[in-house]
Amino acid sequence: MRFPLFAAVCILLRTTVAVFADEAWNVDYHYALLGEPQEETTFFHQPNPTSKASLIYTLSKRGVVGAVNPRDGSVVWRQLLSPNLTSSTDRGFLRAGEGQDTIVSGYGSQVAAWSAADGRLAWTVDTHGPLKDVEILELSDGKIESGAKDVVALSGGGSPAVQRLDGASGAVKWQHKFQEGDEVYQLSASTTEVFAILLHKTVLGYIKIRVVSLDPVNGRKTDEYTLSSEKELASAETIISVGANSASPIVAWTDAAHSVLKINIIGTKTVSSYNIEKQDGQPVEKIRIHAPYHANSLSHFLVNYQTATSHWADIYHIDHTRSITQLAYSLPNIAGQGSFSTSTSDANVYFTRITQDELITVSSASHGVLGRWTIDNLGLVSAPHEAIVPTHTVSELSVKGDSVSAIRTAVLLSTGDWVLLRDSKPVWARPEALADIRSATFATPSVLEDFQHKLDVETHRNFVGAYLHRVKRHLEELKHLPSYMSSMPQRFISGFLGTTDEGAMASDSFGFHKVIVCATGNGRLMALDAGSASRVLWSRRAVDLDSSESWQPGLSSRADVIVLERGSGKSRQTFNATNGDPLPGIPDTHDLQSGLGVQYTLRDGVLEATRTDKANAGSVWHFTPMADERILHLVPRPVNDPVASIGKVLGDRRVLYKYLDSNLALLATANDASTSAQFYVLDTITGSILHSSAHSGVDLQAPISSILSENWFAYSYTAEASDASTKGHHLVVGEMFESLVPNDRGGLNAATNFSTVQSGTDPFTLVQTYQIPEAISKMAVTQTRQGITSRQLLAVLADVEAIVGIPYNALDPRRPVNRAPTKDEQMEGLVQYEPVIEFDPKWFLNHQREVLGIENVMTNPALIESTSIVFAYGLDIFGTRLSPSFSFDILGKDFNKFQMLATVAALAVATFVVAPLVMRKQVNTRWQFT
Amino acid sequence: MASQMPPPPPPQWVRDLTSPPPSKAKSGAFPDPPGYTSSNPQQVARSKSSKNAVSQPREPPSTYEMDTLKLKKAWELALAPAKQLPMNAIGMYMTGNSLQIFSIMMVFMLFKGPIQAVLNIQGTFARLETEGNKQNMLMVKAAFVGCNCLALALGIWKVNGMGLLPTTRSDWLAWETAREPLERAYFVPS
Repeated sequence: MRFPLFAAVCILLRTTVAVFADEAWNVDYHYALLGEPQEETTFFHQPNPTSKASLIYTLSKRGVVGAVNPRDGSVVWRQLLSPNLTSSTDRGFLRAGEGQDTIVSGYGSQVAAWSAADGRLAWTVDTHGPLKDVEILELSDGKIESGAKDVVALSGGGSPAVQRLDGASGAVKWQHKFQEGDEVYQLSASTTEVFAILLHKTVLGYIKIRVVSLDPVNGRKTDEYTLSSEKELASAETIISVGANSASPIVAWTDAAHSVLKINIIGTKTVSSYNIEKQDGQPVEKIRIHAPYHANSLSHFLVNYQTATSHWADIYHIDHTRSITQLAYSLPNIAGQGSFSTSTSDANVYFTRITQDELITVSSASHGVLGRWTIDNLGLVSAPHEAIVPTHTVSELSVKGDSVSAIRTAVLLSTGDWVLLRDSKPVWARPEALADIRSATFATPSVLEDFQHKLDVETHRNFVGAYLHRVKRHLEELKHLPSYMSSMPQRFISGFLGTTDEGAMASDSFGFHKVIVCATGNGRLMALDAGSASRVLWSRRAVDLDSSESWQPGLSSRADVIVLERGSGKSRQTFNATNGDPLPGIPDTHDLQSGLGVQYTLRDGVLEATRTDKANAGSVWHFTPMADERILHLVPRPVNDPVASIGKVLGDRRVLYKYLDSNLALLATANDASTSAQFYVLDTITGSILHSSAHSGVDLQAPISSILSENWFAYSYTAEASDASTKGHHLVVGEMFESLVPNDRGGLNAATNFSTVQSGTDPFTLVQTYQIPEAISKMAVTQTRQGITSRQLLAVLADVEAIVGIPYNALDPRRPVNRAPTKDEQMEGLVQYEPVIEFDPKWFLNHQREVLGIENVMTNPALIESTSIVFAYGLDIFGTRLSPSFSFDILGKDFNKFQMLATVAALAVATFVVAPLVMRKQVNTRWQFT
Repeated sequence: MASQMPPPPPPQWVRDLTSPPPSKAKSGAFPDPPGYTSSNPQQVARSKSSKNAVSQPREPPSTYEMDTLKLKKAWELALAPAKQLPMNAIGMYMTGNSLQIFSIMMVFMLFKGPIQAVLNIQGTFARLETEGNKQNMLMVKAAFVGCNCLALALGIWKVNGMGLLPTTRSDWLAWETAREPLERAYFVPS
């Protein structure tokens, strides 16, 4: 009898503690991104031969293979190919065979086949060398009937080779090894032969194109010849295209000045040469060849010429009988940038041209325009007067008679947005530039900043002055009364029904609508609203970068001003956080206090500190790790890290004083020879080590992360299996106190200020180690306005693609070991130490979503004390709001306004109804005898 | 002599008129109907007793006796708070040390009672104070104050038990400030 009751109570308790479902998808937001798609590895494809609807497949610059539904832009599936996103310079390959239900990716040295419908891995093969090309064999000999088509992969490196892999299992069917000396370049497969393109370096430093043709059945070399003559090619960069998989693949190259285009049909030895005439007197900067990718389509191709100001294209046909190429017709020169895409329908080939304001489709056979649409508005956020240029496109069309009845075009724009146009109307846009955020910062919108400033003024004045200021402020605010009154009914209704849409930035009195400014890899600044998800506030180009150029921006903010530091050159720009307008003037970077200031940097594996004042500049200290050791990372205590209470109150109301020093930093070093990791807590003024710990048998391939905040630090590492313990992930938490004796302030006692140079006191550190189920790749800690709210340690779990918020209570090093907590300890909320911390499902901030490739987590305080704003970036964007001590200063969504108002109303009615009754009764008692 | 004569007993109707059935009204907030004169039972009783007294005359006590009686009564009054102490103590013990509305209210009453009593000390003993027992009355008043102080002490003990007295270091922690570092170090990413 009692047990069911207990169970029921337990169930009720659980629901009350858990996150409210309406909050879970409301306060947090998540962009499942892929990264900017690449031109060669993006295409429409049917996930299986029977389906009519096709998906867009792409292998992005960030090394993510994914399928996007063209209807709504949602990600159907995606797979991260390279766990280490930053170091990927690899372009990768993605191929889909006609009528196949798998797609094949090549990345690094891995060839992998994925189920096209759901992204399950079919097989994976390591080629033992960097991949140069991956192609799918479309053989026409009839030997290979239905079933998976085989894959040929060309790998370079020490032993360059071509391998034919079985399409169903990935087993190697044959392998052809090349002699060393020539650089393998690319692969091309026709229906009858496999061609490998090699680059032969001549004595003079020029390059000759060598073609090796192989028998696709047994991999034997059938022919070999050299194409280009001496002194023609200076580098491989001027080889424009090696056409793959078409009925008659071509190889095309040009000279460095882009004056002559040379085309060879692979398999023949004749080279056609075409002079490129200049138009508008501008030199041609880029030549691109667009050819259909189907073995049974017409062998027509398009050559696209681009200058700085305009672009045009020529269309060539291949004459099979004579094995020559012929210029069929030209598309006119149009000012501005444009891009072309190739689509096929049966054997017919169509070219779609997209310019800044037009979409034109032509057939490859003739120059008649099949369809023309005007693009009005892409509905994107960009800076005023910025030209949005299409970078590359893929399109899918259906042709009825002589005109295109429908066309879908997925176009990557220069803003980094990936937009799908149905005819000319944008259907969806994915901000793929956000998948490559290099730096990000929180800023306060101007409106809020003004308000905050006014409140600050009031707190710093005397009583009368503050009161007058407030009265004046309220009088000024009366100006907004009419607009406020007019919006009143709407506000009331929305507030009453609980359907408030969180308002705009201006009416944000809780400080949730912070501006998050991100510097992306393509040289742009993009601003997001931390309060309302999926809204790009503004986006503007900060620097002009070439496609190959990368930059390391540093963003910081001072209230509503964004400071962008560009790379090591340290050229600074400032922007308004609210609208992204560039601001004149450059604020000083450091508002250093008087007295000694120290600057420390990590350079060449040595930590070095110098004085900041000019008078006696010079090195103060430097930290050189021991021999064989390298510095992993350095975590300084955050500059803005307010602490409300300088001590911990014990259960018996005595105080344990925290060791608070704003100049602390945690340094992690690794020793590769002895597989050990060392962690040092440094006082960065004197360079002295306050606490150090060393762990041997550490898996240095696994991520090591650390954090330092307030008076505690935490780090995690993965320990290798040893005699004493099994392999596992460890989380170490240390807390520093001035003294371990309660009510004692340590050596400095009651001094109001201190200098570690003159009187250094060492902290007393309590350390506890926990075993955790997952490796932590990045740590952060929640920040609140005054530091009253308890903290949560935010940990990125890369393996399970999640972010957890671990309450500090669970990590407290003062948890009693091997004994039950005493009454006083219970009052403090300490529970008995357990070596294993299981991540409670309620700690997962992302709930059931997968946040992929998170590299950094940032936190920022909201205006109300209980709440901390969290923003995580990397590949995905994830943001949420956290209340580690629950929302004690704001009414939650669970608060029933209706019930409260109804209760008040009912009481009022009851009072009015009952009052006369009571009155009458009292008079009656006077008059009536019993 | 005629005044010595007892008056003839009043007729029944007079008696009925002067002693109406007791009213049931509990609240006096309402005006009585016009022409109605109130007479409460005590008055009636007093009139009856006076009648009895008159019918059985008694020798009035002497001044000394009165003083003694009054002093005795005053002592009783003075020691009344002390008698309540054990009951209060048990009550306080039973309510526990948690901060709840009931225990807070009880503690509030515990403080309010003695303080009010001490403030009203003159009024309390005014009826019992005469020229003759003034000296003794001082003692009585001191005892009264002492007893109330005991009750206050009980309240303070309770408040301390509830942790409301700022006697420990943690209560003053908010006024202690962190030490200001004289130097600041900044990390500059290279």
